[in-house]
Amino acid sequence: MAGIGTAHLRAPEDALLRVEHLVVDFPVGRTGLSVQAVADVSFDVLAGETLGLVGESGCGKSTTGRAVVQSPPPTSGRVLLDGVDLCELRGEELRARRPDLQLILQDPISSLNPRRRVREIVAQPLRTWHRGDARGRAATVRSLLEAVGLDPGTTIDRRPHELSGGQCQRVGIARALALEPRMLICDEPVSALDVSVQGQVLNLLEDLKARYGLTIVFIAHDLAVVKSISDRVAVMYLGKLCEVGPVDTVYASPAHPYTDALLQSVPVPDPTVPPRPAPLAGELPSPLAPPSGCRFRTRCPRAQARCESEEPVMRAMGDGHFAACHFPLVVLPPVAGL
Amino acid sequence: MKRASPFPDVDPAGVPLLEVEGLSTRFRVPGGVVRAVEDVSFTLHAGRTLGIVGESGSGKTVLARSVMGLLPHNADRPGTIRYRGVDITGWSTRQLVGVRGPEMAMVFQDPMTSLNPYMRIGRQITESLRWHMGLTKAAAASRAVALLDEVGIPSARLRADSYPHQLSGGMRQRATIAIALACSPRLLFADEPTTALDVTVQAQILDLLAAEQREREMGMVLVSHDLGVVAGRSDDIVVMYAGRVVEHAPTRTLFAGLRMPYTQALLAAVPRLDRPSHSRAAVIPGRPPDPTAIDPACRFAPRCPYVQARCQAEEPPLVEAEPGHRYRCWYPVAGPLPRSAPAVSPARRG
Repeated sequence: MAGIGTAHLRAPEDALLRVEHLVVDFPVGRTGLSVQAVADVSFDVLAGETLGLVGESGCGKSTTGRAVVQSPPPTSGRVLLDGVDLCELRGEELRARRPDLQLILQDPISSLNPRRRVREIVAQPLRTWHRGDARGRAATVRSLLEAVGLDPGTTIDRRPHELSGGQCQRVGIARALALEPRMLICDEPVSALDVSVQGQVLNLLEDLKARYGLTIVFIAHDLAVVKSISDRVAVMYLGKLCEVGPVDTVYASPAHPYTDALLQSVPVPDPTVPPRPAPLAGELPSPLAPPSGCRFRTRCPRAQARCESEEPVMRAMGDGHFAACHFPLVVLPPVAGL
Repeated sequence: MKRASPFPDVDPAGVPLLEVEGLSTRFRVPGGVVRAVEDVSFTLHAGRTLGIVGESGSGKTVLARSVMGLLPHNADRPGTIRYRGVDITGWSTRQLVGVRGPEMAMVFQDPMTSLNPYMRIGRQITESLRWHMGLTKAAAASRAVALLDEVGIPSARLRADSYPHQLSGGMRQRATIAIALACSPRLLFADEPTTALDVTVQAQILDLLAAEQREREMGMVLVSHDLGVVAGRSDDIVVMYAGRVVEHAPTRTLFAGLRMPYTQALLAAVPRLDRPSHSRAAVIPGRPPDPTAIDPACRFAPRCPYVQARCQAEEPPLVEAEPGHRYRCWYPVAGPLPRSAPAVSPARRG
């Protein structure tokens, strides 16, 4: 990773969301220093596509998701939704775009107001946007609850603490769908849920995507979960993009050593497969002083001198498959830019 | 000086490290009695690992804490716990303090809450070394640095002077492992030791625990909700559901020929890397039962795809139907679901 460049972006007119050279800086205390949580990340999502964004904690994947919805807006870069740069918009212009882009958060319980009933939580976006009259809103709330697999009769007057984690996440999804968004940004939507409930929410997202024609950015650290729901996957490390491509291709033949290490680390639920020794030593370097060149080089088993001096740029590894690595794990075709 | 041990210096041959028989844990709460653990029995020998798996609320953490004697005052704990052949069930907290540390230790799930935020890491290790092992201040301090080094913390001498908030999540978990291993326990409870960690760090921590275990012939109880973590790292597995053991077998036997529909459903629900994208996730419908309810039925019956009339009338006993393989089911299944779950792609981009 440690990659820059935009070779992996597709034609701008095809993409519903196109993020170019996204940078997010955060000030560090009163030191006057700043940490670059996202450092020149570009990606795009076509209408109807699901992009999985994976990486370890601290890699900047959540910050990227939040910068896309402009909360907070990025330090620099462009976030084009349907060709309109959200970073250029101010006040009412930006607000008018917000219904198109909804966020689903990790902790299903704390992301709901504990003092409100489910009917009020789901109706809030409709009230804020003056959609319909009271009767129409009540009907919409009921149909949304049914769409997310909740029985309105038993849940509509409950408060979040009376529901299970999985039910709360469904309420959060119903609320996000209330304004008929075009795109959902899901930030670790299932990582707080038990494995049996996780599957229910993943299946629900797939169903809703088909039913409402949604486009999804799915942020998660769990590689198997990301694979189960995504069309394309983008792997991040320390604020940079390492690899992006169709999820089945990337998982079958990862080009970037970091992606490979991540995949190797996932334990297999089969005792006849002996656990492999941990493929990566050490931990994420401090984002305050990231390594020069390729940011992954300090932990990379393939690192060479060039990785220290020169930052790798995204380049094609195959059909729709791109990685930012000087020494990728795939054999490159003789002519670049396949 | 070292505190006197209530246990023999050399264990008689064949005596298991830990025997738990008919252990239940109940909490008296205003609304009734929460039956967190019901009638659990297992045996663990030195150098072996027992995996305990189940969803949240299944009682796996309470079970580990019950054996350690780490329960709140509103808890009742009938049953028998024999440690190295000695019945420690009725022991007072004061007696158990001597057992924790050099005999049993625990690695907790969340290193941020299990470490004392006001105390330097080194001091948190030397505390037990001085108390249990009777080391001098200087000897304990150098042992603490050696332990931090052993668990893979770089520049251990400096890190011993750090506070928990100055360390990353992986480093904190290594520090809690160093604390647990400080007095060379014979039995280690690892309660979701890697759940709060990233997958690359998880692999490092599990390798570390395995290496320490081999070196010390330590018995380990590995509690996890993740069948993937337990599969490669345990000799035997206990599957818990709603406070009950529903299946108990050697790990390989369990994965090759599981019998309990709950285990089958849990294994099928784990998202796997070897399934193609947009595979429909297998789900377990419904939710676990209310832990205060007393039902004469199988606790999994409301969610079981194979449920029959008998399951709703009578709770099945945990029987050893095949040598070494126990399960709690009237109508056992014949093994895991076939690997190739039907792949559907409902929403490929058009």
